[in-house]
Amino acid sequence: MSPGQLLLFAVGGLATAAYLFIVTAGLSLVFGALRIINMAHGSLYMIAAFVTVVVANRLGASFGFWTGLLLAVMLTGVIGAVIEILVLRRIYKEEHLVQLLGTYALSLVAAGAVRLFFGASYRTVRPPDIVSGSLNIGGFRYSGYAVFMIASAVLIAIGVYLLLYRTALGRNIRAAVSDPELLNVSGVNVSRLYTTVFVIGAGLAALGGAIVAPSQAVGASMDTDVLVLAFAISVIGGLGSIVGTAVGALIVGEVISFGLNNQYTNQFAIAFVFIIMAAVLTVRPWGLFGRPEQEL
Amino acid sequence: MISNSTRRTWWAGAAAAIALVAAACGGGSTSSSPGSFKGTIRIGYSGALTGQSQLYGHAISQSIKLAADDINSKGGINSYKVETDVLDDGTTVDKAAANTRQLILQDNVKALIGSVNSAQCQAESPIAKQNKVITLDATCNSYQLTTEPDLINPYWVSVVPNTYMEGTAAGQLAAKTGAKKIFVVSPKYLFGVSETNAFVASLKKAAPSATIVNAPETWYVPYPTNPRWDSTINAIQAAHPDLVYSNIFAADQVNFITQALQVDPEFFKKFPMTTLSSVDELNTLKSKYPLGMHLYMRAPFFALTNSRMTDFVNRYRAKYSEYPSDWAVMDYDAMQVYAQAANAAKSFDSDKVRDQIVGHSFSSLRGYSFKIRKEDQQANVGETIGTTADSGGKYPFPTLSGSTNLRGDDLIMPTELVSELKAGKCEKNNDPTTTDFALCPSWKKG
Repeated sequence: MSPGQLLLFAVGGLATAAYLFIVTAGLSLVFGALRIINMAHGSLYMIAAFVTVVVANRLGASFGFWTGLLLAVMLTGVIGAVIEILVLRRIYKEEHLVQLLGTYALSLVAAGAVRLFFGASYRTVRPPDIVSGSLNIGGFRYSGYAVFMIASAVLIAIGVYLLLYRTALGRNIRAAVSDPELLNVSGVNVSRLYTTVFVIGAGLAALGGAIVAPSQAVGASMDTDVLVLAFAISVIGGLGSIVGTAVGALIVGEVISFGLNNQYTNQFAIAFVFIIMAAVLTVRPWGLFGRPEQEL
Repeated sequence: MISNSTRRTWWAGAAAAIALVAAACGGGSTSSSPGSFKGTIRIGYSGALTGQSQLYGHAISQSIKLAADDINSKGGINSYKVETDVLDDGTTVDKAAANTRQLILQDNVKALIGSVNSAQCQAESPIAKQNKVITLDATCNSYQLTTEPDLINPYWVSVVPNTYMEGTAAGQLAAKTGAKKIFVVSPKYLFGVSETNAFVASLKKAAPSATIVNAPETWYVPYPTNPRWDSTINAIQAAHPDLVYSNIFAADQVNFITQALQVDPEFFKKFPMTTLSSVDELNTLKSKYPLGMHLYMRAPFFALTNSRMTDFVNRYRAKYSEYPSDWAVMDYDAMQVYAQAANAAKSFDSDKVRDQIVGHSFSSLRGYSFKIRKEDQQANVGETIGTTADSGGKYPFPTLSGSTNLRGDDLIMPTELVSELKAGKCEKNNDPTTTDFALCPSWKKG
């Protein structure tokens, strides 16, 4: 493999990793703070993708995409707040199985609603002009939009890191993970904090859906298409760890990119992802960058 | 005071009025006199209403409902009203098998319409065979479904061009382009492997000097796949082929094309593509579907113009506000085949109905009659090939220029090959999972 091809496949892996990170970041954040596995995360991502496509196709790709992205984040944030207040608050203290079933039920409701509102057809939208070009490096072409997705993933990672480690809200979120009772006693409204975290998680799902929309068919099954790999990434990196999510996405993206292009590993490229996941679960069940769940 | 006879007359009149109103309301979409039906029978369909192939399942479920309405408007089947029983399988194999059991054992369907993909049909066929339920298959199309000894089902009828026929058509199409270096990309499951093998075998005959530039181990991508196609797009760039051959479909094809065009707007000019496609993919991407693509399609309405098709398209559009896809056309035909055969048999008994299907001819929306031969219960249906071109505003998507409707008789598998496949002569070490027509003695000779 020439250096040019090596770079080509490495960047291809980065593009896949970026897509997976953008989708998984919110899932991980919500689990880290609320200790809830949100099966409806993919639904929020899907709703945002549909909103972006509809708005962008109506207003034109360039202006419409950014407007759609903004609207999608706002709408999904509102939906997230409603879900947290009406459903999640009632199941925080239940065991994980009940939480899984509760959020899975929400995902089924969302899937039905999306089919009702948007129909069964796939929808597509052009990327905004500013990121729709392509680059030529070493005789190979690279998608400008894939580079935009990689840059977006990096910005989102930095943003979430700064939020968690450089703001008062972040301090409270981390404190809530350690000891919500103590935080409550110290005067912080933990219920409101939880709602805020879930809204941020929903917003991240929306960012993912909106950013991914111009690069793939937007359809009523895109919620489940991504969820399996998203959970694999979360398990590898450590549920709740943003750094872990980034590393997990990177591992999965590169394994797929190089694995599929090699005749000896092609057959097992996707299986490798789950072999890595199983190995991590065996050796370090809380993931590479996660922390063991505390006994209460 | 009202006399007894007057009261009786009043009650009789009221009862008649209620019966009339009930009859008028109860008919639903059936336009004939529903009161004359002896009862209702169901035809089942486990369809991909969600998941990777939801586009296809959606079209098929609409089409078979329209067909049921048309059948009912002509008196139903054996004077029974036809209802469709559609269950979503999410494009998964397990759910398709579970749905098939439910349709047969709980819902008591008289016949089944085959699911979307070959892996699903592979799981459904033994269940249908065990319960002696006729399956009209108009979408999944691996030739193994009707020829592999382990899969042969006397109640399975294929009215879709199978992978042998399609692969042969694709091989001829690719050979015509004069390409010498060909890159192959295909979904990794029964259909992809079956059709790719047929393509490669056909290409070797039609263009012996052409070579496949990627190793056979890398021809296949996981199915259903990760929605990002960077890996394949980059591999094509690295291999620099004259032509890309693909049989990826539905969301996979839409994602692949979308992402390839983002890498390079000229991608498909640099790397022309011969691919399976349908009205669904064209209509999803609309003007974004690249022009100059060499397509092979099963039943594109715009290339199969005839008065029945025009009427069907108009009524389908009026009812669903959509253009009918290839799947809609073929599954409408499948419903009509069952209705015609069961009416001719004057029975719903699967053996009697099958006797009225196998060896018989049926008219088709495709503008010709097809016959279901006895050797593999495969219809001699054709395939349409052509190059994508602007439709000149006639449709919101590209159509085909220079389209040719290849005759089923020119594509269908020779009966000698069918016999050899059925006799297990085309396997490696008697392993049925290796069944491949290219291993058959007569193919090797020819």
